[in-house]
Amino acid sequence: MFPMERIHSSQYYTFFQSKTEKCFYIDFGQKVVGFRFCELLSLRQKIWAINIETHFDGANIHGFEILSLCNKEHFFILNTLEVLDLKDLLSGAFYILGIGTQDSVLATKA
Amino acid sequence: MKDIARQQMSMKVESMDMLNAQIQMEGRASASYLAMASWCDQRGYTRSAEFLYRQSAEEREHMMKIFKFVNDCGGNALSPEIKNIEHDFTSLEEIFETALAQEIEVTRSINNIIAFARKNNDFGVENFLQWFVSEQLEEEKNMRDILDLFELMGSEGVALKLIDERIPVE
Repeated sequence: MFPMERIHSSQYYTFFQSKTEKCFYIDFGQKVVGFRFCELLSLRQKIWAINIETHFDGANIHGFEILSLCNKEHFFILNTLEVLDLKDLLSGAFYILGIGTQDSVLATKA
Repeated sequence: MKDIARQQMSMKVESMDMLNAQIQMEGRASASYLAMASWCDQRGYTRSAEFLYRQSAEEREHMMKIFKFVNDCGGNALSPEIKNIEHDFTSLEEIFETALAQEIEVTRSINNIIAFARKNNDFGVENFLQWFVSEQLEEEKNMRDILDLFELMGSEGVALKLIDERIPVE
């Protein structure tokens, strides 16, 4: 793996970018996954599409979400806290990368 | 820090989210106009049907314009999922009232994205949407002009046929 620059960390995850490879990495704890930019956008859209309220109103009684990443190359099962933390990580990382707004970062903190 | 992400994408991700929601809205408007056109076609309101088929095609063009823009800016455009389109209408007048309400909703949504883009210095998005501002003014005017015909001629009997004959088709 090429040298990576740490961009942002949340409670469970860390976001890196690799200048030489022109791609991004997220350390999920049990494994590190590499993302091309379009795959990163796709991850963000999947995380944003999760309705976290269903974890509390009985619609999702287990409180788990299954995420497939990078065109089904990786599968993750995330609990409520991990979903919220990943959202926090991505909001912060996109803001630092200069393509996200501060409003979004503040919204995930609210 | 080398700006890898910025090199890949020339808009804010939140603008992309809003434009994807707009794609969904335009797609829905297109499907909705198609349902209205079908209702008119089945009841012999041929010019209204033709007008609404054209509206449906126009909304799809708007959708595709935004779709292409999102991808051209390096974003990820999402193909819309469209469900629960209303197919039941009580009258021809209700069709055009629904159409005007739909156009007003689209205008509101466009204005909302422009306000967001302006606040966040996303000038490319703001500039792109200016065309839609003019387009929406025209769309709303067209619907209001048709609803004026109901005011002038009534909404029953032979008036409906006369109104249908005055629906603009190109």
